[in-house]
Amino acid sequence: DDDDKKKKKRSRWGGSEHEKIFIPGMPTILPPNLDKNQEQAYLLQLQIEEVSRKLRSGDLGIPANPEERSPSPEPIYSSDGKRLNTREFRTRRRLEEERHALVLKMQGINPEFKPPLDYKPPVIRVSD
Amino acid sequence: PGLSLVGASGPATEVLCLLNMVTPDELKDEDEYEDILEDIKEECNKYGVVRSIEIPRPIDGVEVPGCGKVFVEFNSVLDCQKAQQTLTGRKFSNRVVVTSYFDPDKYHRREF
Repeated sequence: DDDDKKKKKRSRWGGSEHEKIFIPGMPTILPPNLDKNQEQAYLLQLQIEEVSRKLRSGDLGIPANPEERSPSPEPIYSSDGKRLNTREFRTRRRLEEERHALVLKMQGINPEFKPPLDYKPPVIRVSD
Repeated sequence: PGLSLVGASGPATEVLCLLNMVTPDELKDEDEYEDILEDIKEECNKYGVVRSIEIPRPIDGVEVPGCGKVFVEFNSVLDCQKAQQTLTGRKFSNRVVVTSYFDPDKYHRREF
């Protein structure tokens, strides 16, 4: 009924048919004869490039409409009263973590893989 | 990167394989699976007649072939080409959609 229809979320398709993501050097059409490893490596590379593009451009994919955003955690402030855990900060951290996981996976398939120049593996703190 | 063939689609068929679109985790949930299926069917029907759709779902402890991919069989090669042109590079669940033609014989034998 009507209520059910309203409850259905927006389509997962983003934008119009003319809005496409263009990643230089990474076409989105694959030949049909790739083996599993080639295919997986290509998709991982594409995902790494896409996350890197977001981090570099600052276009982090935060929804413009506040209602579509996830709830914020309790704010944390620095000693001079600046908020530390802003949405941008949290999103960047999540994207860096995502990229790190992708790079590790990629290096598992291709040990020669060179991560993007702006990638830094996370610093592991012994104590916090 | 080392794959010079990428960008070349190979011969067109009536089956389109969509990659980088769904994760096995999302497909575990019955409601989410139905919802994803509906979103894909609705969009693909704009470009041609969809004959069938296969979305391999994860099974605990089994490696399901093609899990993470979506296969759409169109009525004709032309419809499939139209769909590829329009859908490739678009975003689905905030991921970039990657496409390739798929061998119809393999599709019917469910050799994903």
